[in-house]
Amino acid sequence: MTAAFLFSAITLPLGCLFFAAGSIGLLRLPDLFTRLHALTKADNLGLGLLICGLLPWVESPWQGLKLVLIWLLVLLAGATGAHLVAKRALRGDGEDLQ
Amino acid sequence: MRTLALLAALALLASMSLGLIQVLRGPGAADRMMGVQLLGTSGIGVLLLLAVAIEQPALIDVALIFALLAAVAAAALTRRRLQEPPE
Amino acid sequence: MTLLLFDLVLIATLLTLAVAALTSVEPRRAVMLFIAFGLWLALVWARLGAPDVALAEAAIGAGLGGALMLAAARRAARRRQRTGGEG
Repeated sequence: MTAAFLFSAITLPLGCLFFAAGSIGLLRLPDLFTRLHALTKADNLGLGLLICGLLPWVESPWQGLKLVLIWLLVLLAGATGAHLVAKRALRGDGEDLQ
Repeated sequence: MRTLALLAALALLASMSLGLIQVLRGPGAADRMMGVQLLGTSGIGVLLLLAVAIEQPALIDVALIFALLAAVAAAALTRRRLQEPPE
Repeated sequence: MTLLLFDLVLIATLLTLAVAALTSVEPRRAVMLFIAFGLWLALVWARLGAPDVALAEAAIGAGLGGALMLAAARRAARRRQRTGGEG
């Protein structure tokens, strides 16, 4: 149809592909650190692609800004969570993670 | 565009269900935590796609809350072991 | 058609999560499944066109409630350890 639709038709399936890669990596990879790597990287990239694909379709520029803010927050939360889990697993001093 | 967004949301939901297996099965608590994190990130994706697909812009705010609270559960789980209390 | 499939996947996984959370013996596993259930229920509310309820569910059910219950499960486990398997 239009250029915007074409753009979304490329980025949305690509984003879904990255999400699927993250899920399969989480299920199949052998140890905790590789699974952490698959989870955080693939998912954040997939979400970024999805948000790029959705940006032309929101109603106002403010909503677009909110989408970008969501992506930045997810990046921050993913990095924090991955760092915490990896540190506790590496030192073995987590209370719940034995 | 609405059909495309809905199809993408369906694919994402399938991927989420795969991640759910990890939450159900995962041997350690860390594996379950990672499964929950995956659910959170994919859930944000599904919500954003739904916001376009069923034309409800308010769902973007729900996704924002998901993103804000994603780190809370991870931080709550990864508390460091304190010194053992005396008997 | 796509929407129907979407709803079916949503409901089937929601029920699976609920049953798994209710039938799990270990408290920490139950809490993890409860957090996942809250995230999923927020998606269901979003699909039903109720963003306000989804907002509350994501914030209270999945985020804060999950973190508080994790702390409670940890405390219960510590007490059980201290009293040697009792209580």
